[in-house]
Amino acid sequence: MRMPKLPTMNEVGKFSLAMASPPDNIDLVHRLLDNIWVQVPTISMIDRISFETALIELVANVIRHADGGEGVTYTITIKIHEDTIEAEIVDTGIHARVELHENSMPDDLSENGRGIPLIKTLVDHISYDRANNLNTWLIRRKFRS
Amino acid sequence: MNIHSKVLADGVTVLKLVGKLNMVSAPQFHEVISTAVATGETRFAIDLADVDFIDSSGLGALINGLKSARQAGGDLRIAAPTEQVRLVLQLTNIDRVLKAYENAETSYNE
Repeated sequence: MRMPKLPTMNEVGKFSLAMASPPDNIDLVHRLLDNIWVQVPTISMIDRISFETALIELVANVIRHADGGEGVTYTITIKIHEDTIEAEIVDTGIHARVELHENSMPDDLSENGRGIPLIKTLVDHISYDRANNLNTWLIRRKFRS
Repeated sequence: MNIHSKVLADGVTVLKLVGKLNMVSAPQFHEVISTAVATGETRFAIDLADVDFIDSSGLGALINGLKSARQAGGDLRIAAPTEQVRLVLQLTNIDRVLKAYENAETSYNE
């Protein structure tokens, strides 16, 4: 009898979502994550809210800045390993001019500019690459508990 | 997001938000505050007990509301943030300008 192929030892789950904005918006990403938290209930509350906050900020950034006027299509892939959770976003948008090195929050009464610094407080890794007319974003958080 | 509004006897407008305050709903919150300020309301208490998620767009809407209220001679206070909202307020240092009160209806009595 042939045994079914086992998942790799350290990969707990992989989830993907294809989106096009407009009309899709970040509420769809919240629904994807709600579904994942049910399927992988071992992830702690602080890891969930930290990763969800970072991912929503990143997708909001793609929707806001990658749209050159004709909308943007993108795929979100979330991978959960034993000790990390990561999200890769690949979008067809324009070349992003984003200051990933920005660590400091803007003035207290500023109404914007907190997205990237906030993401950086919540994840251990963030990167951006541009190749073949695609933008690829990656965030990764190590589980704290 | 749903927004329930009521005016207390002392003139404070309590806005109870239900849902997520994010880039989708932030314009709705902004519109409610702008309309209220235009009709003479200046003191706002934002009940966040049923807001399970806020992002930087939501923070921007709160700061915008705070500035509008103060420019009109009033104020905007927040109350009862949930765990995620409390975390984001702290990480962005917004807790320096928006102290979280326990209860929206009594936030102007302290």
